[in-house]
Amino acid sequence: MTKQPKYINLSRAAVVGTLALIAVVVGPAQAHKTPVTAQQLQAYQEAFLAEVKKGDLLFHGDDAMAKKLGVTLSTTGMACAMCHPMTADTHPHSYPKFQAQMGKFATLRDMINWCIEKPNQGEKIDSDSEAMKALEAYIYWSNTGSVLVPGKY
Amino acid sequence: MSELDKARREIATELQQPGLRPDPSVKLTRRTFIHRSCVLGAATVADTFSWWPLINTIDVAHAADAPFKFAWISDTHLYTRSLNTRFVDKTVRAAKEVQAMSPPADFLIFGGDLAQLGKVEELDLGVELLKEIKIRKVFIPGEHDWYLDMGKKWGELFGQPYWSFDHKGVRFIGLDTVSRAPDYWSMKKMSPEERMAHMSVLDGTVAGPWAGVGRDQLDWLQKTLSTWDKAKPVIIFSHNPLYEYYPPWNFWVRDWRDVNEVLKPYTKVTNIHGHVHQVLYNEIGTMRSIGMLATSWPWPYAPEGVPKLTKPMIRVDPGDPFDGVGWGGLAVNAKDTVENEYYMWGRKEVFVQSDADSSLSQPEILRPRIADNQWPY
Repeated sequence: MTKQPKYINLSRAAVVGTLALIAVVVGPAQAHKTPVTAQQLQAYQEAFLAEVKKGDLLFHGDDAMAKKLGVTLSTTGMACAMCHPMTADTHPHSYPKFQAQMGKFATLRDMINWCIEKPNQGEKIDSDSEAMKALEAYIYWSNTGSVLVPGKY
Repeated sequence: MSELDKARREIATELQQPGLRPDPSVKLTRRTFIHRSCVLGAATVADTFSWWPLINTIDVAHAADAPFKFAWISDTHLYTRSLNTRFVDKTVRAAKEVQAMSPPADFLIFGGDLAQLGKVEELDLGVELLKEIKIRKVFIPGEHDWYLDMGKKWGELFGQPYWSFDHKGVRFIGLDTVSRAPDYWSMKKMSPEERMAHMSVLDGTVAGPWAGVGRDQLDWLQKTLSTWDKAKPVIIFSHNPLYEYYPPWNFWVRDWRDVNEVLKPYTKVTNIHGHVHQVLYNEIGTMRSIGMLATSWPWPYAPEGVPKLTKPMIRVDPGDPFDGVGWGGLAVNAKDTVENEYYMWGRKEVFVQSDADSSLSQPEILRPRIADNQWPY
């Protein structure tokens, strides 16, 4: 397995705490009733980037993160990034579409699972799992700027 | 203007000056070629489609004294045998096919990345699998072979990482483009395994611009070439391409300007390189450059910088481990031509036939990764 150096997100606890505080003080019903503050924006962005970083590590075969999230994305030493450096050729902006390999209409999450099972010979993950959301977050984040072309082969 | 754009402009200004091209007798043509195993009816149905390679014919004036062939295998990226049997199977297949070449190749050049994580077991496994090939074998290193023990095991197995020899009127040169990475490990007190882990990730951001030839090797190259007629053919093997294609993935050597200075007086230089795991062709100044397939897996084309002269390879099926990969047969023949034949397994057509066949038909804008570059490393 390609081993990645560990990373510790020191700000993660702070982000979660801030979001919790906002939820308690403002209340969900009030979330969109007041102008957004810089502090809120930062907290939202950090919450997003925390998932992106998780996904980045999973995508690059980090054993520690896979273990933490309880997933086996590969059993061959291959990691997603070995065929998709910087998520190249994942084309998240082309989903959903008819996916030829599967012979069915598919979402990005379907394709992620297909890659885990076939080329990587790993174990399929729950479509709504934390690991799946993190992978999706990383792939979309990395493709920031790619233009939506849903359905394109 | 981004740094990459600036570099692109510079490469265009420096190297692609008006009227400067490889020798006018050099031209690239393509023809399809039916492998003898099909002609003889020896192939199974499954094999039939895996044996339809496509030949690039490159005409070179004043080439060989006598016709000969040589074979290229690279980027086998072997793990230990028990972890990944597919990479082993593909190395075995390439070795068998090279050994079966008829007439036989004069030698095999192995273009680097024999191992995936530079382990002794991986390199030993590579040597064992390549024993199938009985002809002369020459080796250049890849970064995956090097950064666990800084080339110690590789050197014990294969000797000098750069060299030259003359063969039937062609000067062959092997370059080491991998061993001169800037030191990214000492300050951070990385273990050899951590150093290798960063180096083994193509889109990693820690190892930086590790691909380079280096002043000492450039001086050696200049000296080696000084005894060679400037109009006679030179074929240079390197792991990385000797021009700038996509620096974030080290699809370049960082001192390409200096390499070009040394090669400038020689009019018939062909660079054959690995590392990119894809069909690639370019002309830079008087040098032409051919990218070779891996046996392990194909890399996608970079989101930008693909040379305009490259006819892209076909989009591969990730469900077929034998698709998009293979090896190369090169012939230098009596009609003064060098032919490069991509043996891509599992494909009748190596090159795109229409836009939809190409991954490049779907533009993408990509960001470099972030999670590998944060304290603590």
